[in-house]
Amino acid sequence: MSCPYLEYRTTDGDREFDAERAYCLVADRFVSPMKADVCNERFEFAYDEHCELYARHEGGRVQ
Amino acid sequence: MTYEHYLEGVPVILTVATTGGVRGKEANPNVPEQPEEIAAQVRECEKLGAAVVHVHGRDEHGENDAGRLQAVDDAIRDRCEDIVIQNTTGGQAPYEERVRGIRTDPPPEMASLDLGPFKRGQHIITEHTRHNIDSLATEMQERGIKPEMEVFNGGQLQEVHRLADEGLVTEPYYVNLIFGGRSFTIPTPRNVLGMVADLPPNTQFNVLATGRHQLPLTTLSVLLGGHVRVGLEDNHYLERGRPATSNAELVARSAAIIEHLGRDLATPAEARERLGIY
Repeated sequence: MSCPYLEYRTTDGDREFDAERAYCLVADRFVSPMKADVCNERFEFAYDEHCELYARHEGGRVQ
Repeated sequence: MTYEHYLEGVPVILTVATTGGVRGKEANPNVPEQPEEIAAQVRECEKLGAAVVHVHGRDEHGENDAGRLQAVDDAIRDRCEDIVIQNTTGGQAPYEERVRGIRTDPPPEMASLDLGPFKRGQHIITEHTRHNIDSLATEMQERGIKPEMEVFNGGQLQEVHRLADEGLVTEPYYVNLIFGGRSFTIPTPRNVLGMVADLPPNTQFNVLATGRHQLPLTTLSVLLGGHVRVGLEDNHYLERGRPATSNAELVARSAAIIEHLGRDLATPAEARERLGIY
């Protein structure tokens, strides 16, 4: 399962890429490749436990 | 390696790290991510004097994918003349993913061997247990792959000595000393000197420093008889406020500095000889 605030898009309005990239709707910016593993819950990651932005947005705290 | 090696003009092995696994085009659109664009930049760097390329694989979205290392290696071999390929086995993926870096066909001549964890954000930490380190080192020996031991902080120098003592790495040892960021050794000239002083005998070392520390600390490495790694994996800027337009731009600057300081750039063949790659 992926973060509900994750989208794949080619542009943020200012920049355009050839391929879709991970975009965080909370931060309103593209996500780094390392962080995208958290967004996509790869390996042992879970966005609701391991993403500071998600926790802050949801009114919670970083675990 | 020492200042005496600098005075003797021992050739510098210039490694280019074109892509990495931490950031990509979202940070600098000139970071190459796909096999053909990586290979094209590597070829430009090879022409400028890079002898080794450190390789990461990315998927179609620019995200980390060890399964793409084969395609990147193939593209580099197609486009380049002789550059030494060094695949990553690092990152935050589990061991089963990371070991793919030494299971390409043919195997790379070199591979990185992270000697400990480093942190990103609040929750990301790379998983480099002693068990995993030893497993990778053993398989590299079996496959004839030269490890570049990645030392992210001073404590991990202990692992270099341990691997050497246990015969899990072969002389001459090759160590990459890493400075900068919030997880690596604090980037000061004093710390470079200290780390170099604590290396085992018969060790060749390389300096990697992130961001604005790349230029001064890699230059210091040249003066200390060491080798140099530069590229967009470690630093996105040519100077303050000016993003690098390519890996070649960073390699060209370092190549010029090395030559001005009186050391030659090692060819890939000379790098193999110096590192004991056969």
